Amino acid sequence: MIPRDASQARCGDDEVVGLDSAAALIRTAQTWAHDNLVPFNVSLETTLECNIRCIHCYNFDRDEPRARRAACGADGATPEAPRLSTDELLRLIGELRDAGCMFLSLTGGEVLTHPDLFALLERARDLNMAVQLLTNGTLLRPGVAGRLARFPNLLGASVSLYGATAAAHDGITQVTGSFQRTWDGVERLRAAGVAVRLKFIVMRQNAHETEAMMAMATARDFPYSVDLTITARHDGTNGSLQARIERPQLESLYRGPLRPLLPPGRRPPPPAATFNCNCARGNCAISATGEVYPCISVPWSAGNVRDQPFAEIWRSSPVFQRIRGLTLDDFPKCAPCPHRGHCTHDRGAAFNATGDYTGADPFVCETAALAHQLAQESSPDSSPDSSPDSSPDSSPARAPGTPATP
Amino acid sequence: MTDQRAVRRIGSLPFQKMNEETLVVDPKTREVHLLNATASRVWELLARPQTVAELVGELGREFEAPEDTLRADVTALLGDLASKGLIDATDWQRDER
Repeated sequence: MIPRDASQARCGDDEVVGLDSAAALIRTAQTWAHDNLVPFNVSLETTLECNIRCIHCYNFDRDEPRARRAACGADGATPEAPRLSTDELLRLIGELRDAGCMFLSLTGGEVLTHPDLFALLERARDLNMAVQLLTNGTLLRPGVAGRLARFPNLLGASVSLYGATAAAHDGITQVTGSFQRTWDGVERLRAAGVAVRLKFIVMRQNAHETEAMMAMATARDFPYSVDLTITARHDGTNGSLQARIERPQLESLYRGPLRPLLPPGRRPPPPAATFNCNCARGNCAISATGEVYPCISVPWSAGNVRDQPFAEIWRSSPVFQRIRGLTLDDFPKCAPCPHRGHCTHDRGAAFNATGDYTGADPFVCETAALAHQLAQESSPDSSPDSSPDSSPDSSPARAPGTPATP
Repeated sequence: MTDQRAVRRIGSLPFQKMNEETLVVDPKTREVHLLNATASRVWELLARPQTVAELVGELGREFEAPEDTLRADVTALLGDLASKGLIDATDWQRDER
């Protein structure tokens, strides 16, 4: 994700669809949650089932035979790690609400493959929780879109898109016709009155269509965000990294269509006290098998909701306590980095690349260095930026939740 | 808004208490509202249908304020909440039938 203001480290898990006009107020609320350790935004992985087979999927390699996945526990199909049942999910949603969750993101797998999705939405509605769906859009048939629209607590849907053409998109999903079905679903949602945000995942295979994707969204009047980060998979495999854009593509995008998204000119790095994002403070995620993570991108389990009440995990798990206690000095690669002010600090990428929450993913580092270089090139004063330790007190306060939409 | 007419908050609206304030989200209008401490207390009370008189009576027990002042403030607040579509009387009346 490209933050509009790179001083605001974030991971995208506190992004809220459909409320762009109230972004400042939402940021205030996110900051309150961060400061008071309230799990305000929770991503709930309702299922690992999916009807497409994206080459970059972070769950597991969907081209692997199911038996092999089950053997390694990659899809949660082992007896030791059964997926949360509908009853467990319904109970969990109540626990999340009791703990202070207001924004519930239902994801997957493909969330629309869950047979009891509407029961989950009803539960959230009855508990006054706002819900957004993260979906590939292909299952948004007319009846489904209309039924979703009747939920008064549905904020909207974030729909992933992987190209401006069927060739590129379907090549990534490995399902012929998925591009058209995604667009059909998106248009049905809008026609039904549901807010939609498109999420462009830029990869080696579709980078050449980035500008066309952005133009397509603009022409159809959809807000969108652009995400360049592909991570290793949660099952420990890294075949997904084959989809990462290459350095020449990245530079071409940053000098071209993505240039307006980068903050111009010199900028100080963020203050050390505001280095961490909202993970384990105002955000968390729960896997389809009940593992509680600091965010959906970081499969570092703080506990399982089958073994402990969610509130207990949230309050006292050693993993979350560790994350909350981290200071800039605990990030050995990041602390001295001169590009820190231009970095997304993507913890998911770091964790999946190194197994260490405080590590660094070389791709993210390279992206930050390039963003920094371009910022300096565009600055009227082309002298080098200040050192990372000289950040003034007047640097922007931490304000999670900044939309990445141009 | 009259003393006799009962209103209640729209039951399905997402909201969250944030210390003394309350954040209310209306996905249909895509608006977000931040209620101050007094409005938050009224919002809590409006989980059940309440008349102005009932609200004034309850707030009078909790806050040291003249009844006339409370009545004026509550009436103004309910008008504001109604204009934003956050409270409703019709649904309650229909539900009660």
